[in-house]
Amino acid sequence: MASIARSSLLRQSAFAAKSLRQQSVLQNAVRTSAFHTTSRRNILPPPPQRVEGTVNDAVPVPPPSPSHGSYHWTFERLMSAGLVPLTIAPFAAGSLNPTLDAVLCAALLIHSHLGFQSVIIDYIPKKRMPNARKFFMWGLNAATAIVGLALYEFETTDVGLTETIKRVWKA
Amino acid sequence: MIAQRVGTTALRRVTKPNTFFTPHNLAKVALASQFSATQTRPVATQKLTVDDANSLLAKQRLQRPVSPHLDIYDKMQTWYGASAWHRITGCGLSGALYLFGAAYLVAPLTGWHLESASLAAAFGSLPLAVKGGVKFLLAWPFVFHSINGVRHLAYDLGVGFQKRTIVKQGWYIWGASVIGGLYLAFFM
Repeated sequence: MASIARSSLLRQSAFAAKSLRQQSVLQNAVRTSAFHTTSRRNILPPPPQRVEGTVNDAVPVPPPSPSHGSYHWTFERLMSAGLVPLTIAPFAAGSLNPTLDAVLCAALLIHSHLGFQSVIIDYIPKKRMPNARKFFMWGLNAATAIVGLALYEFETTDVGLTETIKRVWKA
Repeated sequence: MIAQRVGTTALRRVTKPNTFFTPHNLAKVALASQFSATQTRPVATQKLTVDDANSLLAKQRLQRPVSPHLDIYDKMQTWYGASAWHRITGCGLSGALYLFGAAYLVAPLTGWHLESASLAAAFGSLPLAVKGGVKFLLAWPFVFHSINGVRHLAYDLGVGFQKRTIVKQGWYIWGASVIGGLYLAFFM
């Protein structure tokens, strides 16, 4: 009697385990398919794909380069940190003298250039779109050169960036 | 070898008393019958040339989701998170600087007047609401990028990396930047 009861209990528990297992499989399938069929709202179409080497090659590790790595990173932070006093100074003093204003302009230009560089590096992967990357990088270099020249002209012929902003702001 | 073993196993089955269907084992049988004992492998393989395999892989990789995917992440982090807006505000301000610089350089050729005096005069003649709006559109990104920039410098030193701190500070920065932007636009 006892053994019969036990076996049926076991059977029930086995059935329960099976249905549970099926349920979890079903849930996983639903979850997975839900993930796969989310409406794909790509901001941009996927960039072209090509397989370099063979299918089973590991991801190539680029050669270490401090000037593109840690030095570049530290330089970015130094430029950002340097902008903090240069930004606060005109608010504290009312304006900036021409030298500091020129320094501010140069720092802003370099900071902007580094920022745009990061954007290009993030959104135009070199591996997928080498030509577009080259085009945008050189385009950015050209733009920075043009704006640098413009800021030099502006600083040497006009009243300076902070003073201009101040005058426009008070207008 | 294998044929011999088949023979011996069959012999062993015959000689050994069958204990498989004893009541003691029924439970085990019931349990085991739930699991499929047969292995099925519904996969057919075919030979491909290297070029075909590569093009197939490339085609499959094109089906992957494209990053950044704006739907599948927590909106609090992707849409309102200060990190994305740091880049947006920075690009906006730097873009404005670059546009102004390029325009200033070509101004003599196109006859535009972008000297500080004419800029101030032109801006001064605008209606008050437009002036305030333009100032806020410049001041808010400036304040946001400045405050959040300092926070990111603190991150780089390894300070303030607790998740709660990040979320809380994010909201403070939104509030402070809007208040600061309004102050700079209308009271400065």
